[in-house]
Amino acid sequence: MARKIMFGRYIQADSFIHRLDPRVKLAAAVFMMVVSLLSRQFWQIALVTLATGVFVYLAKVSLSDVLKSIRPILFLLIFAFLLNVFTGEGEPLVSFLGLTLTLDGLLTGIKTLFRLSLLVLNTTLFMTLTTTPILIADAMERVMSPLKRVKFPVHEMAMMMSIALRFVPTLLDEAQKIMKAQSARGADYDTGGPIKKAKGLVSILIPLFISAFRRADDLATAMEARCYSGGEGRTRFRVMKIQTSDVLFSIIVALVGIVVFVGPSFLKMAY
Amino acid sequence: MSVMIRFDRASFIYDEDLPQEVHAVRDISLDVERAGHVAILGRNGSGKSTVARLVNALLLAKSGTIEVGGIEPVDDETVYLVRRQCGMVFQNPDNQIVGTTVEEDVAFGPENLGMPWERMQKAVTSALDAVGLNQLRTRAPHELSGGQKQKLAIAGALAMQPHCLILDEATAMLDPESAVEFLQLVEQLRERRGLTVLTITHNMEEALLADYVYVVDRGQIALSGTPSDVFDNAATILQLGLDVPRHIEIASEIARRTNQPLLPGEAFTFMDAVTAVESRLESFVSKGAGDRLYQTAKTIQTDVDKETPNDRDPEEILISVDHLSHAYDEKQPDVKSLDDVSFTVKRGELLGIVGHSGSGKSTLIQHLNALIRPPKGKVKVLGLDASENKNIKVIRRHLGLLFQYPEHQLFEETVAKDIAFGLGGEKLTQEEIDLRVEEAARNVGLDKALLDRSPFELSGGQKRRAAIAGILVMRPDVLVLDEPAAGLDPEGKRDILNDALLLQKQGVTILIVSHNMDDIARVADRLLVLNKGRVHQWGTPAEVFSDEVRLQQAGLEVPRSMRFLQAFEGIYPGIRTDLFRADLAALELLRAAAEASHGA
Repeated sequence: MARKIMFGRYIQADSFIHRLDPRVKLAAAVFMMVVSLLSRQFWQIALVTLATGVFVYLAKVSLSDVLKSIRPILFLLIFAFLLNVFTGEGEPLVSFLGLTLTLDGLLTGIKTLFRLSLLVLNTTLFMTLTTTPILIADAMERVMSPLKRVKFPVHEMAMMMSIALRFVPTLLDEAQKIMKAQSARGADYDTGGPIKKAKGLVSILIPLFISAFRRADDLATAMEARCYSGGEGRTRFRVMKIQTSDVLFSIIVALVGIVVFVGPSFLKMAY
Repeated sequence: MSVMIRFDRASFIYDEDLPQEVHAVRDISLDVERAGHVAILGRNGSGKSTVARLVNALLLAKSGTIEVGGIEPVDDETVYLVRRQCGMVFQNPDNQIVGTTVEEDVAFGPENLGMPWERMQKAVTSALDAVGLNQLRTRAPHELSGGQKQKLAIAGALAMQPHCLILDEATAMLDPESAVEFLQLVEQLRERRGLTVLTITHNMEEALLADYVYVVDRGQIALSGTPSDVFDNAATILQLGLDVPRHIEIASEIARRTNQPLLPGEAFTFMDAVTAVESRLESFVSKGAGDRLYQTAKTIQTDVDKETPNDRDPEEILISVDHLSHAYDEKQPDVKSLDDVSFTVKRGELLGIVGHSGSGKSTLIQHLNALIRPPKGKVKVLGLDASENKNIKVIRRHLGLLFQYPEHQLFEETVAKDIAFGLGGEKLTQEEIDLRVEEAARNVGLDKALLDRSPFELSGGQKRRAAIAGILVMRPDVLVLDEPAAGLDPEGKRDILNDALLLQKQGVTILIVSHNMDDIARVADRLLVLNKGRVHQWGTPAEVFSDEVRLQQAGLEVPRSMRFLQAFEGIYPGIRTDLFRADLAALELLRAAAEASHGA
């Protein structure tokens, strides 16, 4: 159960996208984000949609899993859609309650809906769905390593992230255990008003925090005993190497970008 | 032979202002030879873990000198050199794993050493092979069992190619089978790789494996020598809150009662002890012939009878479990954690629930107070069906359940408030609450002065008692304890089990889950042996242990005192073997010897 909560969004599979270097995926996610945002014409959006569809296919994840990632921003999407629909210019199609709906607005609304969805879909696909959190942390550390020169604690941040990920399942198990133990002592977490519920939470959180501190202390000792002394002079077990598939994928993504960006001016030149 | 670790009058005091501080060590001198195996034995708070930390330069001596492999840790560089040589395994399996997968965790040390990639891959693979975890290398740590996690910790140390392995109570949180397996692995590594092993423990079984033992008490070395030398002083060791092997304890008791002291090392092994006891009993019988002996035998007879629990009349049945089955995953109903389990518990009895880890013990007890909801009609507590919503509150008030390491659930500002937590739902005046809290604290031998302290200031054993008091305050009819003695030192263990016996005398029905047969045999009236989710055996300890073959099928062993008495069945055919305390076993041996000679 512990893992479901944390890594429920990572979908284990052995696909072309899963195997890509996480740094490449990080870059691709950022790039596709920009491409989605800058797509203004319908054909551009169609192209990005097509590309995204191909990526989803390559990642061997089901379409429903991908679409689920839109759910948290559904409200935002509807809001953005309505805002565009009712503030568009041009001939009114319908008007009611003082609001006017125009064809122009309707089209802009649909475009916005697509652009925002594509933005979210691409980042989720490349980051959460096909890359484990630990690899994301690792990729971040490597991508951000130039910041070490300005004394930004890149290694420490990555280590924190990695330890947090390591202990999430442990602490979730512990929380469940504490909850059971307190239930056995007569605690009731299901009934009662908000104040009673908040009080009940205290009886779980305090032991959980104390345990987290105890674990932190133990872990620090264990790390020291294993000669840990910060990022200085450390080598890495997990190496990231750019493979042919990474290069291939980068070219495809770049091509999508080029067509979307340079396409309009090319078209203009042609006319 | 060269010396690997040397302490010369080394001291470490955490807080100079507290002269009698626990965990501190004072003027300790010791030597560990290269490729040797030395154990440091001591009760909780004796300072033994401080010694481990001094060896690995996690702490630096305040006075005196410490050398590891000829290096004295004084500055960053020497500290690093010392830590490189010493791999360490700590007590809590969960709190020493850094990596998010097995192989990454093993690589953590080599990464810190700046090992080049090629060598690191080899070091990780060979370390995983050495502990037999290579198959699991891409698993996440929380998917491993406790025993596997401790093996992973060893692999993490081995990958750094150390000269020395320090085990700081490394088996304290493991079940007996995993502990044995772990110790075998350590022994194997020591032989194959010439590793120096330093074991810090309160478990005498582990001390027996060492070539040399230092017994630490109050920060100083109280005894030292080969295991045989050290365990010659059985009485001293017991006084220090530790344990001696059961056969030595029985032999010493016989020697004391017959006034014929043991020679050094005379009772060290099991067979030595049998021979030593035989010779004592023979001369005891031949010396005191006639009436005096027979009189003695008769008084001993009554002693033994008084101490063994009488069989209870069939009384009120408090708990009945009727053909209970349970599958963890609803999608896989065939993988059962409980399979057709039936038994009853009578009022006032002490039931021991024993079995391997994974035999279903924890799952079973959680059904009793509906933390896991049983199917309809399968579990009845005080005549109430535990499957019905309306009964749950009542059942939980009358059946107190305490999980392993219950002290981790303490959270209030004071011990008294924490104990009173369970009374939250009842309408009581503050005075009544105070009375109940005091009563509960008294029942577990918790000093009244401690009630106003923060629970986090208490020692390990005290915390555990406070947690038990937190259940007793509800005046339950039934108390269910899951491994109540886990992680405690021998003295703490004895105290907790004695508390359980006292509570039983007051009429509380008690269920104790345990995997230690010696402990449970001593206190239980009846035993429920679980194996793979099924009831494997069910009866009095004498009945259960009489079928040794069946017991071993469940991976369990006959208690050691019983095994010792069985060695005398050939000489004294009438001897009882179902006695689980060293003193009672000794009395029974004397009685049997006297009876045999009187009859002759």
